[in-house]
Amino acid sequence: MDTPIYEIRSLTHSYAGKTVLAIEHLAVEPASIVGLIGPNGSGKSTLLRLLGLIQRPTQGKIHFNGCLVEPFSDDARFLITLLPQEPSLMKRNVFNNVSYGLKLRGNGRGVADRVNEALSLVGLTGKDFARRPWYALSGGEAQRVALAARLALKPKVLLLDEPTASVDAASAQLIKEASLRARQELGTTLMVASHDWQWLYEICDEIIHLFKGRIFGTGRETIIFGPWQKLGTKKWGKILSDRQQLCVPEPPDKEAAAVIDVLSVNEDGSAPADEGIVLSGTVSRLSLERKTGQLFATILVGDLPFTVRLTPQQTREHTIFPGKTLSIRYRLDQIKWS
Amino acid sequence: MNFLLEGFFQAFNLLLSGNPETYSAIWATVKVSSYSIGCSLLMGIPLGFCLGYFDFRGKKPLRTIVDTMMALPTVFIGLLVYAFLTHRGPLGNFGLLFTLPGIAIGQTILALPIVIGLSATAVESMDQKLRVTIMSMGANRRQLFLSSLWESRHGILAGAIAAYGRVMTEVGISMMVGGNIKWHTRTITTAIALETNKGQFGMGVALGLVLLAIAFGVNVSVSFLRRRD
Repeated sequence: MDTPIYEIRSLTHSYAGKTVLAIEHLAVEPASIVGLIGPNGSGKSTLLRLLGLIQRPTQGKIHFNGCLVEPFSDDARFLITLLPQEPSLMKRNVFNNVSYGLKLRGNGRGVADRVNEALSLVGLTGKDFARRPWYALSGGEAQRVALAARLALKPKVLLLDEPTASVDAASAQLIKEASLRARQELGTTLMVASHDWQWLYEICDEIIHLFKGRIFGTGRETIIFGPWQKLGTKKWGKILSDRQQLCVPEPPDKEAAAVIDVLSVNEDGSAPADEGIVLSGTVSRLSLERKTGQLFATILVGDLPFTVRLTPQQTREHTIFPGKTLSIRYRLDQIKWS
Repeated sequence: MNFLLEGFFQAFNLLLSGNPETYSAIWATVKVSSYSIGCSLLMGIPLGFCLGYFDFRGKKPLRTIVDTMMALPTVFIGLLVYAFLTHRGPLGNFGLLFTLPGIAIGQTILALPIVIGLSATAVESMDQKLRVTIMSMGANRRQLFLSSLWESRHGILAGAIAAYGRVMTEVGISMMVGGNIKWHTRTITTAIALETNKGQFGMGVALGLVLLAIAFGVNVSVSFLRRRD
């Protein structure tokens, strides 16, 4: 096995005394694509900033290619680059923005070619955009220029924080394609934080699910957030928008998040295989996990999305398509709290 | 109002005929304001950058002091500098009283807090995301510092112009420290005050027009530089 390009152990990061990230161990293989998913505030951006050597962790160390690194490390600063969620262009024209990193590296020769090449990767032409000032770009163009500035560096690691969150569909497509080309052509390791789960599951070799600053499985778990209410004696749960009752054991606190493992799906109306809580929902999305070839269904129960891994048998037995009504089953004693 | 109109005609006459007394005051002003603005920019930009960029204990009180000093009255500075430069003062041996360098010292004290304060504001208002951008492109500490300084250039330039305007138009320091000595320390503003007292509006208006022209020239140059970005 290759030396991991990143390895972190016992890393914590805090803001104003509040721990926002606590990772026991994380290793990232070279030239892999790693997706980071999780709700807002789960620590995705913080983790990317730490891996991008923008900040120093409160505790713990980051190893890059086997070397201990920190912000401004000469071993790593020219090899890692981060595209933040809201990239800020410098008060220069597009050419100078894209060539900035190259000039920092002392790459005087061929700068114009590399700038044009990077711009074309993100669907912009040097002829039309190179001399354009930073303030004369739309949001999507600015995001693409920011990505071009990173791609021009031909980095070993490209960290992307919500790269398509605030751009139109066409720009998002170009950004996705350009990022993947970096991995295909240069062997760049990609780490992408995104809410576009479908895209991540299509492209990633590994998915890391962050929740409240901790690594929390692969993102296929169904997490239901509080508040919880008492539905009867010793009975807790939620009344869903379609009047079904989502039952849970007594929560540790009213705002706790429940992790529900869906055991099976059945055709709506068919008898459940054994005991458990059964809820009826509608398939809203199907996605394929590229690495395993497994199919996942998102089933909306009321307004709550439940993620279900479909076995080949289930796929064969039930003709599953978005809009179909299915029953899901889970067991109270298998619910975990976070 | 005729005397004002006559003043304008006389002003053009003085300027076009190369009146030595008028040009002596202009030259003294340009010289002394260049010294003082040069010194205050050299000291003020790095200090202002540090004040705006870094977080340290005592930053807020220091900022309040700098902001207060931005409104220092020129006669008060003139009085203090006079007290230091006079023969009985601690710097009396240098013989700087009633000289252009003496005025420049006073004007530097006037301009320095403006440059520091407005540079600090420019750096503080710099988009915090820019630091992440610069670092993510691989900058080391020195490159981060220089790039951040360059990115706040417009605000710093605005501070420099404000300081230059204050230096060019002050009377108190030039009068008290320079003594308004003809051919030596008479600046545009002290000359205007004197000539107006004497009823010589023409020369006063001529010098006022020159002040306006200098201010216009500085602003046009700055706009040109900004447009080049």
